[in-house]
Amino acid sequence: MAELIKAQNLTFAYIREDEEEQPAPVLKDIDFSVKQGEFVAVLGHNGSGKSTLAKHFNAILLPTEGTVTVAGMDTRDEEHLFDIRQNVGMVFQNPDNQIVATVVEEDVAFGPENMGIEPAEIRRRVDDALKAVDMYGYREHSPHQLSGGQKQRVAIAGVIAMRPGCIVLDEPTAMLDPKGRREVLKTIHALNEEYGTTVVLITHFMDEAVSAGRVVVVDNGTILTQGTPREVFSQVELLKQAGLDVPQVTELAYELRKEGFPIPPDILTEQECVAALAMLLKEGSDCRQS
Amino acid sequence: MLKDITIGQFFPGQSPVHKLDPRIKIILTLAYIVMLFMTGNAFGFLIPIVFLIVLYLIAHIPLKMILKSMKPIVPIIIITAVLNLFFVDGDPLWSWGIFTITKNGVAMSIMMAVRILCLIAGTSLLTYTTSPIALTDGIERLLSPLKKIHFPAHELAMMMTIALRFIPTLIEETDKIMSAQKARGADMETGGLIQRAKALVPILIPLFISAFRRAEELALAMECRCYHGGEGRTRMKQLHLSLRDAVASLVVAACIAGIVCINIFVTVGNF
Repeated sequence: MAELIKAQNLTFAYIREDEEEQPAPVLKDIDFSVKQGEFVAVLGHNGSGKSTLAKHFNAILLPTEGTVTVAGMDTRDEEHLFDIRQNVGMVFQNPDNQIVATVVEEDVAFGPENMGIEPAEIRRRVDDALKAVDMYGYREHSPHQLSGGQKQRVAIAGVIAMRPGCIVLDEPTAMLDPKGRREVLKTIHALNEEYGTTVVLITHFMDEAVSAGRVVVVDNGTILTQGTPREVFSQVELLKQAGLDVPQVTELAYELRKEGFPIPPDILTEQECVAALAMLLKEGSDCRQS
Repeated sequence: MLKDITIGQFFPGQSPVHKLDPRIKIILTLAYIVMLFMTGNAFGFLIPIVFLIVLYLIAHIPLKMILKSMKPIVPIIIITAVLNLFFVDGDPLWSWGIFTITKNGVAMSIMMAVRILCLIAGTSLLTYTTSPIALTDGIERLLSPLKKIHFPAHELAMMMTIALRFIPTLIEETDKIMSAQKARGADMETGGLIQRAKALVPILIPLFISAFRRAEELALAMECRCYHGGEGRTRMKQLHLSLRDAVASLVVAACIAGIVCINIFVTVGNF
């Protein structure tokens, strides 16, 4: 599959012209790529550089060293700036601060309007986008009447109305209640599975990363480890060193293993955990009986 | 408590007045103001008054709302009426010291009061029957010919839209900050005027800081959605003039013509 976003030797520092001493780089020599149709979760604790990394994917920040290309276009190439931004949509943490208009459908239309698309086509895209995030019934509402999860879904609709190849979500659920989080995650997964949209989900919630296709752990400006959720979360010690938690069930399995119980190390979901524990208990009682 | 404030006082509805093109409505409101100031005859005032009453009836705006919108301007009306009452020359009806009331003065002050009332009621009708977004849209399009002389029509409309969008958000935020400061013992309800004004500082400073932060994030989000000013931008909703707009324009034109005729031909009740 084609690589949609590709970062090579990406180094970034917030350079200040007025200071002689340059600060340490936020990102150090990162090689990273996202393939078409992938669902990638980028994990890291606060200040690990994960948001800075995300801002390189649509040319908000430009690399100090190295290159970032989006669908073959270098992000430093000003000529392709709007092509890049149209191709990689971005959703931020606070839904209130990314909704521009006073009516839901007008806000969703904002991106396509900026791209200079025909009115009839905008109408079609806005309707499609609102249906994709299941907010079509609210199209004439005012944003402040909506809940946090609904607002974030409107923000996502505003991005997908631009028909991007990829959407980057920078901690989209950090400010939402559990219900809003579930709504937004369901929407993101539906976009990835039904519409084939590439998704890069920046998060510090472990449970959100579990359902991703690939997990990338960022710590201190470098990529600590990456792989399938199962591969990544079985490295409990490494994640703990990086100041990250592992999903509760994985942690339980890890502690049990440490105590000498034979339980697989790569447990990710509650069902798996229940099955493994049941097996363990059954074996234990079998041993005692015989 | 602050949530009760409504801005723009828009009354959603489906009446012909609501459905008029916002551009036409703005122009006709301006025409109505001109009409009010052209009228120089007591009978002439019948036209704008009847015109307004008919429009309010068509638009189904409750009488309570009209009276409510009049309340804040009552002092202005009284001051103008009193000034006109005493400072117009003519046959004295009554005098006491330096104060003289003339027949002309009485007529003038009544006319001024009616004029201001009609002015407020007429312009309120515009905001009652036009949604804020339609209003900004109308203003942007009306001003767009001025773009040729580098008048920032699009930017102005964008600023109005964002301001309208953030009013509820910032009101909510003010409520939160007030609660937070009260929880820490801030006293906002007692003391004199100066003390109360001072008590506002711990609310305004956090509010401003958060507003700037919001502005920065919003700018970033807008940039991510390819915003680059009004150039090359299309709109989803197009405004179309319809027969209704033509009829409305004709009616207003007829009213103005009627007032001109009354001014010229009717001599009774002139001032």
